[in-house]
Amino acid sequence: MVDADGDVVGAGATGTAAVRVRGLWKRFGQQVAVAGIDLELPAGRFIGLVGPNGAGKTTTLSMVTGLLRPDQGTVEVVGRDVWRDPAEVKARIGVLPEGLRLFERLSGRELLAYLGRLRGLPGAEVDKRATQLLDVLDLAGAQHKLVVDYSTGMRKKIGLAAALLHNPEVLFLDEPFEGVDPVSAQTIRGVLERYTASGATVVFSSHVMELVESLCDWVAVMAAGRIRAHGPLAEVRGEAPSLQRAFLELVGAHGRDAGSDLDWLGGGSR
Amino acid sequence: MSAPAITPVVVRLKLSLLRNGLRQSGGRRAAYIASAVVALLFAALQLVGLIALRGFDHVESLVVLLVAVLGLGWAVMPLFFPGGDETLDPTRLVMLPLRPRPLVRALLVASLVGIGPLFTLCLLTGSVIAVAHGGAAFAVGVLAVPLALLVCVALARAVAAANVRLLTSRKGRDLAVLSGLVVAVGAQVVNFGAQRLGSSGLEQLDPVADVLRWFPPASAIGAVHSVGEGAYGTAAAQLLLTAAASAGLLALWARALTRLMTAPDGSTLQTGGAAVRDRASTGLARLLPPGRTGTAVERSLRYVWRDPKTKAAWVTSLAIGLIVPVFNAWQGTGSVYFACFAAGMLGIQMYNQFGQDTSAFWMVAMTISSTRDAYVELRARALALLLVTLPYATLVTVLTTAMLGDWPRLPEALGLSFALLGAMLATGAWTSARFPYSIPQEGYKNVAPGQTGLAWISIFGGMVAAAVLCAPVIALAIWLNAGAGGDDLLWLLLPVGTLYGAALTLLGLRLAAPRTARRLPEILTAVSKG
Repeated sequence: MVDADGDVVGAGATGTAAVRVRGLWKRFGQQVAVAGIDLELPAGRFIGLVGPNGAGKTTTLSMVTGLLRPDQGTVEVVGRDVWRDPAEVKARIGVLPEGLRLFERLSGRELLAYLGRLRGLPGAEVDKRATQLLDVLDLAGAQHKLVVDYSTGMRKKIGLAAALLHNPEVLFLDEPFEGVDPVSAQTIRGVLERYTASGATVVFSSHVMELVESLCDWVAVMAAGRIRAHGPLAEVRGEAPSLQRAFLELVGAHGRDAGSDLDWLGGGSR
Repeated sequence: MSAPAITPVVVRLKLSLLRNGLRQSGGRRAAYIASAVVALLFAALQLVGLIALRGFDHVESLVVLLVAVLGLGWAVMPLFFPGGDETLDPTRLVMLPLRPRPLVRALLVASLVGIGPLFTLCLLTGSVIAVAHGGAAFAVGVLAVPLALLVCVALARAVAAANVRLLTSRKGRDLAVLSGLVVAVGAQVVNFGAQRLGSSGLEQLDPVADVLRWFPPASAIGAVHSVGEGAYGTAAAQLLLTAAASAGLLALWARALTRLMTAPDGSTLQTGGAAVRDRASTGLARLLPPGRTGTAVERSLRYVWRDPKTKAAWVTSLAIGLIVPVFNAWQGTGSVYFACFAAGMLGIQMYNQFGQDTSAFWMVAMTISSTRDAYVELRARALALLLVTLPYATLVTVLTTAMLGDWPRLPEALGLSFALLGAMLATGAWTSARFPYSIPQEGYKNVAPGQTGLAWISIFGGMVAAAVLCAPVIALAIWLNAGAGGDDLLWLLLPVGTLYGAALTLLGLRLAAPRTARRLPEILTAVSKG
């Protein structure tokens, strides 16, 4: 287990860091969204960024991927500064943000063709990869439908395909399973597991602990704009029976069990 | 239930719903009565007016136009007031075992009950009195009035039934965004029409009326007038046309109704997979250059067609860019220089390029990692715009010149248009990078709350800057026109204006590119508020 200062103790055994964050801050007016994060995410792992709603997960991921400018701090992805060397970083990362639109008036296939070509891949290669991704992600039947008519699960899947199209080294997914049906979730999961098995890194955020626990081998716990713990799953979980319990203890919510306040609720006298 | 029994039931249902609605609250009753009184007063005035107009020259043109507008009003009414009349909402009757034919008959009779039909009846009667000459004409009028009324009501019902389904789907919501446009463009047309009518007499309407009196419901009144003129064949044809139109509309309505009551509602229906074909490898795409340029041009052009907000903006620009110069030329008050309107209106589409992407701009931002990328992206968007604007502006200019017969000024007007277009593209690219703002995707608003100032700076500041940038070419035009021997050199304005416009565009893109590349996160934040 790692202390709240965020000292790198339990970083993975693989050595090199996929992401290195130093003193990252972001304020929106009076509200501090991210309050000085130091974090090193090991390469080649399936990494979960967990925390309650409003913990600053999306803000952090946006700053790490170069979509939001931090007030302070540096971010390095695969050893390159996100803000000083965007060309190198953007070519090596894939992103699936939360709460941002896609070009929804394109069909699924057109979206992939568009994005692949913007990334400078040869047209034939883009089309080949798009066909395979659409197949694997179960979108082949809907490839000519406009994305605006897609369901949530289909949107996440086409977003994932768009993020994977240029074979990135590090994949950032913000709430990839939010609102996704079990079948689609299983498909996404299968693709991600295959992807990390080849040595790539996946960083994804979620507030569903069970999901993170079953998918990730490395987690970082966030609350109120700070990293509360990070390291291999087993270390962060520690003695607790589940990540959920460990998380509740970390964020100091364990004392808030539905105690004696509602003792009249339930069976017995009305 | 037998066929004849259902009609009185539905009519009684309508009357009791109307009565109960009035009983609900005093305010509602007052509002209803007030609107009824105003409508009836208006109808009576119109009736009196039309009767008074009887015998005037060219009155038939005015009357035909009036009835045509009335028909148009009936057609668009259900689009603007979709929930207007719940008694006629067929989806409420879905659970009842009714056959379409008796149901159509019943609903038709029920929809004839109300102020709207009464108003129409007054107007139609007045129209007949105004144009009918001789007993035969009045006899035809007796037939024409109910026929025209039937066309109006059936038109409204058919449009409404077709839309009940449409308005629940994504396509319907897309259309709703576009309907504001109909009003905007319609207002322009009416404005010009009224101006023209005011400046010259009723005979100005003749050419329009000549066409319109073949369109139902105006064709019914046309028939009455034709009989008065002794043109019995024409009258018979016009009357037949009206009857055929009402029969056709009723059939359409019945079909829509049957589909509505037997098929699942549009919101639960999966859209067919074949709705949009893969056009990635067809026609235009093959002609476009590979890489970012071709890809971005293709995406921009697809959005002009597929995205309702972009489409509405484009259609407005295209329409106003055409209407202002051409209508002015038609009225004889125009000048060739008005043709610059087309270039100017379309140039506006270059403004707030990234706002048009909405928050999907992140996808573009993730692929821009150098000033060069940003330059190529902006250039591609300008190119997409030019692909439509250059031919269109040229066409409008040539058309305006042809209408005015002012051919010597064509090169000059074209040169000025292209210079203006270049200036708009340049300032548009720069303000897109400097003052981006969100365009909300729902509703009519084109600016997100809190960004109105930004939008004003962007558009009006940009337009003033564009005008200033054009000043040298305008000055040259004035100088050449004023100079005694300048007329021979006026053609020079075409190459000079074109080159100047192109140079401005390139300069604007060059200046906008580094700013765009530097400010990607800020632009994304600014355009993600909608």
